[in-house]
Amino acid sequence: MNPSRDNILDRVRAALRTKAHRPQAPTNAPIFPPIANPEARFREEFTALKGEVIENAEKLSEFLRGFAKIATDESELVSKAVGETNASVSECELGVTACDCLVARTGSIIVSTLSAGGRALSVLPPAHLVVARHEQVVPDLVAAMALLRKRYDRHWPSALSVITGPSRTADIEKILVMGAHGPKRLALYFAE
Amino acid sequence: MTTASEQFLRDAATKTADLRHRGVIQKNIASYDAAVTRGKARYADWQNARSQAAAIKWETVNHLDRYLEQFEQNVLENGGHVFWAETAADAREHVLQLARRHGVQKVVKSKSMTTEEIHLNEALEMAGIHAVETDLGEYICQIRGEPPYHIVTPVMHLTKADIAQTFQEKLGTPPTDSAEELAMIARAKLRREFMTADMGITGANFAVADTGMIAITENEGNARLSFSLPRVHIAIVGIEKLVPHFEDLALFWPLLSTSGTGQAITAYSSLISGPRQAREIDGPQEFHVILLDNGRTRLLADAEQRDALHCIRCGACLNVCPIYKNIGGHAYGTTYQGPIGSVITPHLRDEREWSHLPYASSLCGACTDVCPVRIDLHHHLLHNRRNAIQHKFDNPIQRLLFATWLWTMQSSLRYTIVAKLGNLTLRLGFAQSLLKPWIAKRDFPTPPKESFGKWWKKVERASRPFTPSKQTVETPVLHDL
Repeated sequence: MNPSRDNILDRVRAALRTKAHRPQAPTNAPIFPPIANPEARFREEFTALKGEVIENAEKLSEFLRGFAKIATDESELVSKAVGETNASVSECELGVTACDCLVARTGSIIVSTLSAGGRALSVLPPAHLVVARHEQVVPDLVAAMALLRKRYDRHWPSALSVITGPSRTADIEKILVMGAHGPKRLALYFAE
Repeated sequence: MTTASEQFLRDAATKTADLRHRGVIQKNIASYDAAVTRGKARYADWQNARSQAAAIKWETVNHLDRYLEQFEQNVLENGGHVFWAETAADAREHVLQLARRHGVQKVVKSKSMTTEEIHLNEALEMAGIHAVETDLGEYICQIRGEPPYHIVTPVMHLTKADIAQTFQEKLGTPPTDSAEELAMIARAKLRREFMTADMGITGANFAVADTGMIAITENEGNARLSFSLPRVHIAIVGIEKLVPHFEDLALFWPLLSTSGTGQAITAYSSLISGPRQAREIDGPQEFHVILLDNGRTRLLADAEQRDALHCIRCGACLNVCPIYKNIGGHAYGTTYQGPIGSVITPHLRDEREWSHLPYASSLCGACTDVCPVRIDLHHHLLHNRRNAIQHKFDNPIQRLLFATWLWTMQSSLRYTIVAKLGNLTLRLGFAQSLLKPWIAKRDFPTPPKESFGKWWKKVERASRPFTPSKQTVETPVLHDL
């Protein structure tokens, strides 16, 4: 057994025998303003981040026709919306997945290996389409984390991601470029 | 041999006089400032968000042993491995061992200051393992052979034109003035690396004790690819990165993003709890966490400055620092630049060698004002100065000068005499040659004949009893020396 573990923990315990000054306690005042209409707020934030909302089944077919190779997570929700596809994750032009929930305040989509067909499908393809239901919208991250805890506690998926808009970088002169490594396009379709 | 302090003075002097450099930084930081102002407007109570974050970090850091053990137990239960590294060398050696065991030839890395701190890339290259930085900024640093200029914005000091030229020279790509084209060149090159890498190495922005997860914040998707595609994932995590609960991230994710770039939350905030599970369709076979001490327990032992371990590496204190904005990130010569770097480097590395850094500050306190976890940065810079003097790491000439200054200031007679002498020498001009290095790049006005003390006495006499109309005394120009 590597002795480093005990050495580090011993040093930590020895260090903490001297007490540090405790900062002033925070108040219970809310950190963020309240959200009146979560779905409206989600749409506003998501669109501002260059996410695309696909409004109806007709628009969805039109969107899907733009991609020759499509891979999906094969969930019931997704299969019902997009039908049969046969491309693999590494060769597809579009990955279609479900999600755990949508976060109104930040316009985010939360996916996990269990809700969205593993790790690669929602990040490797050049475009990502999420199929969600209206009732999956939650107001904020606090509500989203509570929902995830309830759904997965003690049986967590090995990876979760909060996705907020398409992949981006501003490393060069703070100029915003979409599609740095992940999907350049991120779209959302609300299944009825 | 040049000491770190001599090197610092030389590099700082060069950069301060480099007007092009100053222009690039000012433009970059101006867009950062505008984004952060917009970002903070989304909060109902930013100050309370800072207080809540400080309270959570205080709780964690002051019970660190408990949270480390809880984190370790949960990672093991999730099927991951934990290695405790006391030093940078221990961490490097463990990575190399894992790489050898898995027959690794290529590593993709996502941005991690901890791996910069332990100089992991050099160690991997020496062992014949190809390590590729995949964050765009870090990739540019790597092909230029430069360290990151800033903990969040690695190539803040470069223009589009500089980067286009680097790509042209190192990658043989055609010239371009489009940031998008440059990003797409890197995307295409790095996509091939992702598809063929055997191991992904990441840092962690947070480590969650009660679920045994690491959290990674990014915008590009390179971290997600790094922990999704290769066979093995290693995360190198400083022991101070812990937060107690999964739910704490509902506060820390927005806080880090707002302070780091002004975003409400970055494009990807991910959590990893372990390797691929039987019920999952992809992911690494093995997940390893390396918990790194490397001097952090020394900082922990200093109760006065323990809160410096609350740092979430957002970079806000760099962006607001008048010294950073003039000398730039490279002059510090450290992994962590700016105010936070000047606070922690003397603790993490050799105190004697880095005791000059706390002086790279005007003590204006702007860093403390912006810190999202309320670290008392500018007072810690003062504490470090005091410690260095107590340990006799300061310059003996400086010590003599301060002693003389103190002696002078303790008597009004001595002060008057010295001030008169000083005034005379400055006006006659022979002090100018003495002060040449200082005034070479600064304006040095000639002091007025009349001293402030004399002028004040006149004003006082004239205004007793106070009658503003009688006040005819001419106000001398006061120079800010």
